[in-house]
Amino acid sequence: MDLVRYGPPAALQLSVPGRTASRVGRKGGTVAGAGNGAVRSDLGEVFRRDYPQVVAVAARVLGSRDEAEDVAQEVFLAFGRSTVPAAEAPGWLSVAAVHTALNLIRSGRRRASREETVAATADVTTPDVAEAVLTREDRSRVRAALGELPRTQAVALVLRHSGLSYAEVAAALDMSPGSVGTTVRRAESALRKELTRHASSD
Amino acid sequence: MRHPTEGTLRRLLDEPAGVPDPDRAHVADCPQCLAALAATRRDAELVGTALAAEGSTALAAAGSTDVDAGWRRLTAALPAAAPAARPERVRPSRSRLFRRPAAAVLAFGVVLAGAGTAAANDWLQVFRTEEVAPLSLTTSDLVALPDLSAYGDVELTGDPDVHEVPDAATAAEESGLDVPEVADLPRGVAGEPTISVGGQLSATFTYSADRAAQAAAAAGETLPPPPPGLDGSSVRLVAGPGVAQVWSSESGLPALVVGRAVAPSAYSSGVPFETVRDHLLSLPGLPEDVAAQLRGFTADGSTLPIPVPADLATSSTAEVDGAEATVLTGRDGAMAAVVWVSDGVVTAVAGSLDPDELLSVARDLD
Repeated sequence: MDLVRYGPPAALQLSVPGRTASRVGRKGGTVAGAGNGAVRSDLGEVFRRDYPQVVAVAARVLGSRDEAEDVAQEVFLAFGRSTVPAAEAPGWLSVAAVHTALNLIRSGRRRASREETVAATADVTTPDVAEAVLTREDRSRVRAALGELPRTQAVALVLRHSGLSYAEVAAALDMSPGSVGTTVRRAESALRKELTRHASSD
Repeated sequence: MRHPTEGTLRRLLDEPAGVPDPDRAHVADCPQCLAALAATRRDAELVGTALAAEGSTALAAAGSTDVDAGWRRLTAALPAAAPAARPERVRPSRSRLFRRPAAAVLAFGVVLAGAGTAAANDWLQVFRTEEVAPLSLTTSDLVALPDLSAYGDVELTGDPDVHEVPDAATAAEESGLDVPEVADLPRGVAGEPTISVGGQLSATFTYSADRAAQAAAAAGETLPPPPPGLDGSSVRLVAGPGVAQVWSSESGLPALVVGRAVAPSAYSSGVPFETVRDHLLSLPGLPEDVAAQLRGFTADGSTLPIPVPADLATSSTAEVDGAEATVLTGRDGAMAAVVWVSDGVVTAVAGSLDPDELLSVARDLD
């Protein structure tokens, strides 16, 4: 039952809802403590390899590129002072990105105007039928509901939809590959219910 | 053969190669599973669209990610952030000191509940616990746990081998339990149930004072002295065998589930289980809700160790045949369950029914 092996993910996962992203970042750094504020030597290498993925994962949660970049900064600051082995960094970074982004949603301190600007553009410029079915309000609701899901469900869902394989999601969350499907399914079912609940009450 | 779980159906959409051949073959020929698979696909696509639309558009609109700009920003922030982190050092590390023992207890609580949870997980196939969400611990609780091996060894043993049987008589013979018989099916539930039987499952936690002390020392904390004899003693939790009857609805979800199992109980070697439990309760920083949960464990299996995630379900109590039953109602109203323990046997009646209807079924069981 080796569930959480390194400080930062535990700190992130245990952080209470509403805690701000910057606090999490700092906390991760302190708990993981490479010591004396020292920054790990492979930070640049890992950054160049994984930054786009971290931004993409956070953007999936937030729907805003600017906010996703803010989140990625927090995550790499925490990573820079952690002792996570480089080989496990991609999973760690992705999980941390989702947690930090979800904390941002739950903190209610979003840069709301940015998301709406992007969303409005998306509505106009994407002719895709499936997307047109979902209104901007629907998407906002899904994101709010995502913030309310049990954390593992939300993280597994976002990682899966970010293109990680079941094995990668399982490794990142230290769960069995067999339970990834169940966890993702539960999350999707909950989000769909959230959408249909509003559709039927409109 | 039993129906593959929801999780298996979900994976079938993304990684069919990751799903065992028998499950794939079953789904291809099973109208119920095909219907469930279609519903799974619809939900997955809907959520995928909701999450991808803005994100991917936002990214596409702004061009590819600018790694160099991100790196410049990070390196600019690093020297400033390092000293800023220092004043924070005291408080977070303090909270960590307290977190470790608390988390150890939480982990232990889960291992104990593990008889409940693990059994519930093995009951997954039987109860399809994914649908009876109130009965399972949320996985987020599990992920937040620390490395339990720092405090001792954990071993899950037993192969519950849950499988379908043709009739109640076979179920009774294999499980050794009285298979509950539903006198009158509630409105909307019809047909014959699918009956499944599962064997016994057990979990053993062996406490190691050395390792617990090392873990505490690593966190700068001193463990309270463990009671004599605790070091090296084991607690074994056993659950099962069990039997479940499932009536399906057209949607593929269980309309009614009636399950019965030998209740989870704790056995200890060396020191009494209560001593182990009380020592864990004495560790500093233990959250009150976890403590309350731990206090609920008894050595005789008379208490039902089912943590109820407050965000998923509400619980209340009712009386069934002289025993106090826990009534769980999913917050989304989709599922409810009535669970009670009598003479070391736990019985659950669950389904997509009103709690009153379930209570009525529970009270009329033969």
